Amino acid sequence: MQNRLALVAMLSVAAVPIAAAQDPYDPDPRIAVREVVRDVVRDHVQSVMRERVVTPRTARAYQGRDRGPEQTERFSRKVKLGRDGRFTIENIAGSITVTTGSGDEVSIEAVKRTRGDRAQLTSVHIIVDERPGRVEVRTDHTGRNDRVGVDYTVTVPASTGVEAKSVSGDLKVTGVQGIVRLESVSGNINAASLPKLESAKSVSGDVDLSDASPEADLNATSVSGSIRAKGLKARTLDLGTVSGDLVLSDIACSRLGVRSVSGNVDYSGTLAKSGRYDINSHSGNVRLALATDVGFELSATSFSGSIRSELPMTLGGNSSSSSSSNRDRDNRRRMGPGHATHAVFGDGSAALVVRTFSGDIVITKR
Amino acid sequence: MHPSENAITDYVDGTLDTTATADIDRHLESCPSCRRLVDDMREIKGVAASLELREPPIRSWTRLERAVTLEAETRSAQRAQSAPPSVALHAQRAWRSRGALGWLAAAAVLLVATGVGLKLILSTPPPSTARTAAPSSTAPNASANAAAQSVEAELRQAEDHYEKAIKGLEQIASAEQNVFDPKTAATLQKNLAVIDQAISESRAALRAEPTSEPAQQSLLESFKAKMALLQDTVSLINEMRKGNDAGAAQIVSGLKQKGD
Repeated sequence: MQNRLALVAMLSVAAVPIAAAQDPYDPDPRIAVREVVRDVVRDHVQSVMRERVVTPRTARAYQGRDRGPEQTERFSRKVKLGRDGRFTIENIAGSITVTTGSGDEVSIEAVKRTRGDRAQLTSVHIIVDERPGRVEVRTDHTGRNDRVGVDYTVTVPASTGVEAKSVSGDLKVTGVQGIVRLESVSGNINAASLPKLESAKSVSGDVDLSDASPEADLNATSVSGSIRAKGLKARTLDLGTVSGDLVLSDIACSRLGVRSVSGNVDYSGTLAKSGRYDINSHSGNVRLALATDVGFELSATSFSGSIRSELPMTLGGNSSSSSSSNRDRDNRRRMGPGHATHAVFGDGSAALVVRTFSGDIVITKR
Repeated sequence: MHPSENAITDYVDGTLDTTATADIDRHLESCPSCRRLVDDMREIKGVAASLELREPPIRSWTRLERAVTLEAETRSAQRAQSAPPSVALHAQRAWRSRGALGWLAAAAVLLVATGVGLKLILSTPPPSTARTAAPSSTAPNASANAAAQSVEAELRQAEDHYEKAIKGLEQIASAEQNVFDPKTAATLQKNLAVIDQAISESRAALRAEPTSEPAQQSLLESFKAKMALLQDTVSLINEMRKGNDAGAAQIVSGLKQKGD
């Protein structure tokens, strides 16, 4: 019976040319059944096909299809943009590096690369669209299944605003003074010295932010990648991951929002008087290394994680533990698991709200 | 005209009657593409016979359930065509039209649903406040219980709103997973599972301690995280579609294989 099920699935795979004529959004349960069963046997089929059906000669030919010498084709273009213009670039596969230069021109250098047939290079077109105050670069893959990556190196006037998007491939932007927005699906993002960086988002790539004083509110997210920020002086930082870690060092900001599900959060920096800092993590640990020149009021809650501070704080209420009382005042101690703890350090001028479910919360002196 | 998929499947299985078999035989004589298809099917059928028995994973049944539910909803929507269409139905139809605007409309409806949920949560007094506000002199236990029940009820209501919105987004996201390369799709699935685990842990904690503020907050935060991830996923799908990047996943996938 199950062999029959598997057969149906594989026949469905083979029948793709016919099935493709159907509306892909048709919710026909038969299609769902087919997809489900196909998933079940796909890996197995692939291994069996590799072992029994595909001959070694065919396999070698297939594997060698994209293992040949690297073929490249260069592209170079200079476009006048002027001050305070906008530069947009979109790429599917390959890196994008943006730096600044003097003058009022945008310089676009690109290298198309493939290890397949050289003819594939010609099926990828770099489109440069010039409009007043704006330059847009797109990467059009006109051939199906081409295996071409394009690496861009771009120089823009310093005051330019930059928007860069990449599906796969790293983004690196340095020194741009205009508004910057960066998005990548699986590539890493590296943003340095960007005073108007607004957003940096990646699905599986890491996000590195360094040496900047963003004037605008900065939002950085990654689903599984880590977010590392160093030397940032921002008004508002809004950072989030699901499983990636957040490592924030030498940070100075007056509003901080951090969200993580399983990633750890490490924050090292100063707090601003009247600043507000919200940190949420489900199972990740939260470690805060704080400068002691500004006091804060701590509201820390955890269902099963422990809450610990090396700073001398005045406990001001503990909603779930009868063990804490006035005798806990002004000491450095482990506050225990399952607590909702309110405590004050120094003048209590900043508000620090930390919530975890099972992650530990640790506060130390920076 | 080519035979239907089912006819070719039955032909390969040898379950067609003689007339239908003869019709397909005649078609195959003049149609190389169908001949190749039949050859492929026979080859795969041969390989399939050697496969060991395997159980479908649990998650498969969820997908099946979704597809069946979706079909039922579509049919009931079709039956109700004469009635004034609801906003949700508009969105659903727009969504089926495959345009990026349609996807955005569907996502917008879900956002409205989420907004209702969020409003509800924001209007809920913090549980600790509810506890401290409870009169301590008369029947403290009864008051505390009433407050706890009220919080639980509101939490359940908020949970319902989130779940409805999440379900809709999940349908969009899972139907369009093919725009992503396999590694990205796997990353998204894996992280949705991480959030589901967090939701599950929070629920278990709430069952054990219904008035636990950290558990309540954790549950709501986990819902918000799931909503955010699904919304980002739908936005990404829209971006990929808008940019005509249907082949992007294949390109990226191909390049990754090459780099592996």
